[in-house]
Amino acid sequence: MSMEEVKCYMPETLEQALEIKSKVNAIILAGGSDLMVSNKRTIGLTPVFDRPVMIVRNLSELKKIYINDKGECCIGAGCTSSEIAASKLCPWHLRQAANRMGAIGLRNSATIGGNIANASPKGDTPGPLYLLDARVKLQSLHGSREVPVSDFIVKFKTIDLHDDEIITQVIVPYSEKDFDYVFWHKVGTRKANAISKITVSMALKFNKDDTVRDFRLSATATGSKTNRSRDVEKIIMGKKISNALIEEVVQAYDKVISPRAMPEFRREATRRMIRRFLSESERHAKGKVIETYDGYKMPGAIEPEN
Amino acid sequence: MISENLTRDISRAMRRVDAVDKSEGRSKYISDYDFKDCLWARMVRSSIPRGKIKNIKLPQLPQGYYWVSYKDIPEGGHNYLHMIATDWKCFADDRVLYVGETIGLIVGPDKTKVEDLRDLIEIEYEEEEPAVSIDDGVACKGGAFINENNIHCHLKLEVGEDVESVFKRCDRVVGETIETGFQEHVYLETNGACCVPESNGNYTIYASAQCPFYIRKSIAPVLNIDPEKITVKQTTTGGAFGGKEHFPDVLCGPLLLAAYKTGKAVKMIFDREEDIENSVKRHPSKVVFRTGLDKDGNILAMDSKVYYNVGAYLASSYVVLQRGCFHVSGCYEFPNFRTEGFGVATNTFPSCAFRGFGAPQTLFAIETHMCHLAQMYGIDPLEYKSRYFIKQGDTTSTNGKIVEKVMIPEMLEQVLKASDYRRKAKEYKAGSGKGIGISFYNHGGAFTGNGESAIIKAKCRLHKYPDGTVEILNGQTEMGQGFHSILPKIAAHVLEIPVEKVIYKDPDTSRVPDSGPTAASRSTMIVGKLVEDAARQMKMRWDKEEEFEVETNYQHPEGFPWDQGTFQGYAYLGYGWGVCAVEVEVDPCTGEVTTKGVWSSHDGGHLIDEMIVHGQVNGGVLQGLGWASTEVMQNVGGHFKQTSMSDYMVPTSRDFPKQECFFVDNPYEWGPFGAKGLGELVFNGSAAAYIDAVSRAIGKRISSIPCPTEQVMLYMLDGKNIGEEL
Repeated sequence: MSMEEVKCYMPETLEQALEIKSKVNAIILAGGSDLMVSNKRTIGLTPVFDRPVMIVRNLSELKKIYINDKGECCIGAGCTSSEIAASKLCPWHLRQAANRMGAIGLRNSATIGGNIANASPKGDTPGPLYLLDARVKLQSLHGSREVPVSDFIVKFKTIDLHDDEIITQVIVPYSEKDFDYVFWHKVGTRKANAISKITVSMALKFNKDDTVRDFRLSATATGSKTNRSRDVEKIIMGKKISNALIEEVVQAYDKVISPRAMPEFRREATRRMIRRFLSESERHAKGKVIETYDGYKMPGAIEPEN
Repeated sequence: MISENLTRDISRAMRRVDAVDKSEGRSKYISDYDFKDCLWARMVRSSIPRGKIKNIKLPQLPQGYYWVSYKDIPEGGHNYLHMIATDWKCFADDRVLYVGETIGLIVGPDKTKVEDLRDLIEIEYEEEEPAVSIDDGVACKGGAFINENNIHCHLKLEVGEDVESVFKRCDRVVGETIETGFQEHVYLETNGACCVPESNGNYTIYASAQCPFYIRKSIAPVLNIDPEKITVKQTTTGGAFGGKEHFPDVLCGPLLLAAYKTGKAVKMIFDREEDIENSVKRHPSKVVFRTGLDKDGNILAMDSKVYYNVGAYLASSYVVLQRGCFHVSGCYEFPNFRTEGFGVATNTFPSCAFRGFGAPQTLFAIETHMCHLAQMYGIDPLEYKSRYFIKQGDTTSTNGKIVEKVMIPEMLEQVLKASDYRRKAKEYKAGSGKGIGISFYNHGGAFTGNGESAIIKAKCRLHKYPDGTVEILNGQTEMGQGFHSILPKIAAHVLEIPVEKVIYKDPDTSRVPDSGPTAASRSTMIVGKLVEDAARQMKMRWDKEEEFEVETNYQHPEGFPWDQGTFQGYAYLGYGWGVCAVEVEVDPCTGEVTTKGVWSSHDGGHLIDEMIVHGQVNGGVLQGLGWASTEVMQNVGGHFKQTSMSDYMVPTSRDFPKQECFFVDNPYEWGPFGAKGLGELVFNGSAAAYIDAVSRAIGKRISSIPCPTEQVMLYMLDGKNIGEEL
């Protein structure tokens, strides 16, 4: 705890930012919606940081959203939740998550890079990013590397970021177009401006013969980090969906998650959502989006791109 | 300009007097005030729920920085705050009884330095086992610390025959326990105050507060001075809901001592987390019913034991408990009825006033119990409840009579029609995922019995200036509810002058008479009437005199006896009445509740301003729905678990999107233009209607609130079915 002023850098280009980062282990502040809160003192006082701060919110290099030549969606790490929710280039699951993150003011400042770096098990964007095999691009003066988001987030509040690196981009190879059915449901602490009690993201594609070609499932707020298990997904791959198979998936996934608070609720809601999604897919429900029950309409929901 | 057509019905909406200043950001809140050489104070509090303070290790304090504690209280001064009772300590001395108990203030000119010093203070405790819940308190966990049984206060009421002997004649006697949780006020503006020492040895307090006269009376004993030597000036207050009725005393007492010690102005503002963690809450409650029934399900006798979690200090809680017990029979007349109330001591932050003041807990309990009784006999709750509706002339739980006409049938008709209750109640089968619920409630206006004349003795003054403007002088505060528009409107209508000609400033205790607290749904019906009467007297002298004052004193109507010793007689002359229906859909996957409609009708007498009343209804109903659903406030081991706006969940407009509200015109004989109290009434019933609806949708009995999503799921998995034997 110190009364000294906080040393603060405001680079104008990514190049400058990487330069600074190579010399100073500065805390990177983009939207500030996590850092300004976690470091605040009482009213009328400025927040305290134990390291210098580098503000990257104005770097235009981090603000772009485009589709690369492999058809992957590339999202600048400095893009805000509002920008992602509004962009038709972004995958549906991610847009939904961005659109239901916190309040409008927060969505206008919180960035996807920051949401990943915060590595909260209740974070909104990791669920869809795990589901869609997203990678983060990490840059330093010496080059860049790409790491799957699910590896980059090591555990609760811990990420695989070197001292001289900056998260510059999030690359999402899949979108709802790659699936026949999609599901995204956040049970928040309330209907808006809410933190996740549990969020489940799912996607499924059939082969022509009705066997499952691809099934994915991720859940947030069900353990120390977002949960996805390829072993569980494999149970159903290449097979026709049956009630017995659904139960097998449900039971197997139940072993993957480890919610500490409200475990009965989180487990039961997860089980019910998986059952609902798979059985609705099995009966070839109309429309691409499966909701938690017939007639349910999430206020402000985003329509998927076809 | 505020335009008000004086020839039309007073109920028609007028633009609020404070609307423009507040929306343009011109109103000055306590944070906006700068005082000369003002010091900044931060509270140092107990971090344990119960124990002895062994040692306080202070850092070296630089010149101009102070530590203020009970040791600074001068000879003759008292270490308590007078909040009805006098047990709440201004500062903890050698022991602490709850997390957050004030131990001292660290005071100095620089905010950062004060904060740094505060972080360095180390307090060593000898911890003792705390009692946290009502059950802990009753079981005297850790040993009783109040009386021999941890019961702060107790009362008993009986109507009709002895219930135990009636129970012997009953076909069966069923029991049920209904519980409610803590609720945080979440006023927009957190608590804050400043104490300024004056050159003549007096003190001026500036505070965000509901009751300036309460503060003066409460803190004067700390310095053992005449309350008149303290002037309290209310600053624009951004919401209160009861949370600033007595609680500002907890800031102002220590600030007074700090100003006395330092000789300088001392200011303190709570930040949001600090305010949520360290302020009073609504009393958690537990109501245990035993109801005797005949073979057709008719109620022959009812017994209720009402337990409120009072916390470590009694303060105003006995009065809260009384109101709870007076409302436990709801809108019903039962032939034989007994209630016993217990204010239970625990090592939690003392509970205090919150919109409804004890009535919402017991009203939720009786409504929910009545539903469950009805369902046990396969009867629609509406039909069952309507058999017992209380009417004019019927006997209340204090053996008084209902004086006024009760318009529940008319109000019910409005709500039934708008909500289509009858069809939906039949169509939505138990457990179908859809449900509609209904509740009935009331709220006794103003202080209980003869409290207004025996205790408060409200006074109000009107001053006419030569230019034809009139000033209203009394202690009632504007805290967002609209009262500083209501009174000028009443005066203007009587005097037939434009509202702009009526001045009504935030009270300053040195220049206005004490008209009692802004609480208890009394401001409009009691003080409004005093203003109406004063204005009528003023009107008669208007043309003859240029400048003069009229003062009116409260007079209790004759013929409605009340005995405060035995709680017998006419508890309230005018009740507000309410009917509320709520329709929901429950997500079978997740237990999430979607509210499809909220319909209410209220009787507030003849309304003074429809727009302000709409604001009260929308806010109060929503606040009640929040209490029932998302507003979880747990206390674990003496610590509140929810401490910020991101984990204490007040509902948003998406949670309860739509409300339709109705009124009946039922002029109240002793109110201004026929108006009576309504501010708390509108809170009292929505929780029960909501829980009734959710319970029917999932087909399970719900007996405890709050009932957030995860709790709905647990009921869906393991709950008792609707209709099962209690």
